[in-house]
Amino acid sequence: MDDLVQLEQVSRRYPMDHSFVAALEDVSFRIRRGEFLAVAGPSGSGKSTLLNLIGCIDQPTSGRIFVEGTDTSRLSAAELARLRRNKIGFVFQTFNLIPVFTAFENVEYPLLLQRLPDRDRRRKVGEALASVGLAGRAGHRPDLLSGGERQRVAVARAIVHRPALVLADEPTANLDTRNATQLIDLMHELNRNLGLTFLFSTHDQRLLERAERVIPLCDGRVEAAAVSR
Amino acid sequence: MTLLVVVGGVTALLLAGGFFSFLFWGLREMTIRSGLGHIQIYNAEYFQRDETRVLANGLENYRDLAAVAARTPHVLGTAPRIEFYGMISNGMKSGTFMATAVDPVAEKRMGFEPRILRGRKLSEGQTPGNEALLGSGLAHSMGAEPGTGLTVLAITADGALNGIDIDVVGIMTTGFKEMDDRALQLTLPAAQHLLQSGRVTKLIVGLDATENTDSAYAALASRLGGHGRIALKKWVELATYYRQVRLMFTGMLVFLGIIVFFMVVMSSANTLMMAMFERTREVGTMLAMGTPRAWVLLLFLLEGVLTGALGAAAGVLAGSGLGVLLNHAHLRMPPPPGNLNGFDFQVRFVPELMILAALLVVVTLGVASLAPAIRASRLRIVEALAHV
Repeated sequence: MDDLVQLEQVSRRYPMDHSFVAALEDVSFRIRRGEFLAVAGPSGSGKSTLLNLIGCIDQPTSGRIFVEGTDTSRLSAAELARLRRNKIGFVFQTFNLIPVFTAFENVEYPLLLQRLPDRDRRRKVGEALASVGLAGRAGHRPDLLSGGERQRVAVARAIVHRPALVLADEPTANLDTRNATQLIDLMHELNRNLGLTFLFSTHDQRLLERAERVIPLCDGRVEAAAVSR
Repeated sequence: MTLLVVVGGVTALLLAGGFFSFLFWGLREMTIRSGLGHIQIYNAEYFQRDETRVLANGLENYRDLAAVAARTPHVLGTAPRIEFYGMISNGMKSGTFMATAVDPVAEKRMGFEPRILRGRKLSEGQTPGNEALLGSGLAHSMGAEPGTGLTVLAITADGALNGIDIDVVGIMTTGFKEMDDRALQLTLPAAQHLLQSGRVTKLIVGLDATENTDSAYAALASRLGGHGRIALKKWVELATYYRQVRLMFTGMLVFLGIIVFFMVVMSSANTLMMAMFERTREVGTMLAMGTPRAWVLLLFLLEGVLTGALGAAAGVLAGSGLGVLLNHAHLRMPPPPGNLNGFDFQVRFVPELMILAALLVVVTLGVASLAPAIRASRLRIVEALAHV
């Protein structure tokens, strides 16, 4: 497996009064294509910050991040947006579905951004919803879906355009045990069947047990060598 | 809420504008049909005239001009007139008058009928004496009633003083007190005898519809070109009061439009900004997924414009519906200043006003959505995603 993402001495500091807070400090590691790996650590350890940086929705204070060999620090805002559009899928803790869109329309959105023809869009959305077991709920808006269903729609939205990398920030945090287990199984299946690379941050031990590799974070630093399974 | 404000604003503009349009139309037609006519034909020298020698620059060949005008498209008829002033006396008391000498048959054909309070109108055929109508104020001043004999004096076309006896056959009102205090109406032959001239001051041309004024004017100007030095005036050039009233009310409508604009901008800008804040996380998600910031800007602008368009459509419907209801309610307006009679409240449906009002609110909503749109497009993604 080749390297999909590479972090070199990445730090993220936030100004605070006359000093700064280091959310991440000198983080370096690689993500290989097709991996199913987790970032673990207590609250405030920098998990979300790390995912934001890898997802190119935030910029490091120092260090470099390479996505498919491209140095993201050299990209403009528009180029970063294009990178996210084509290469990255996001699954958020709070689902973040657009409330006025149906499930179909929410999943369709990333394909609209890529300006895919109408027929191709409909086919891919159908496949994505089927892969998460929600083909029959395509016409429902989020307020008519359960929490588990909403998160599965979010996963479908994250994978519909077959991104190189899917980033999931605490994806099971707002789900009950049954739905959380189903979601973990789903993501693992997508990783196995479609070869999608998953990186998620979590406290959830069930999710950690399914990860091929766990990167432990503590106070903004990678604690030890990542644990491979 | 924004939609309601927009609907209300458009409805208010349409009702006010529709009422003003009715006022303009009523004043226009009243001005024209109370004797001004649609077009007036003068001797070209008339406007440099000596005020004391009224018919020195009158129309000599008015019968020929009337014949040409009668053959012109949209012309319903013509009426010759003489306008002059002089002194009137009942033997014991004198006063001034402002007279209009008319051809009663032509005036009747044009619909220019005086409003008779007592007595009767001028006879249409020849009569042995010089029949006259007095304005109610002038009649009161002279102590005259139908059947009274009075004497009128005026300067002739040659500058001499001449007088004739007149027989009052009727007391009339023009609707304006100041005019009723001086108004006198004679027949054309009586005035021509008094002023010792066969000329008339002007020829009034009446049309089938006021909207045909410009085309009829152009046709008349072309056809009358070989009939000596004449000047044509459209009614709007002569209706000073109408122009002043229209200008004033148009200014009021523009002012109302400005108020509506600011009202809609301020209320909808606030609402749109609040709506944008509520959608902060949604916008953050869209940006995270790679939506170009320009798309976010356009999205909010388009939402504002569409809201304006929807509100405009609903406002036009509501305004039109309310207008129909008000028109059927037969509400009565009080007499305008200087006038003696009230009139029915009516709202006209003016397509141009509907389009203008609709455009105004669409532009207004576009302006109001500018700030929220710019703010949304500049959101920092991480902060927007963390927004509660």
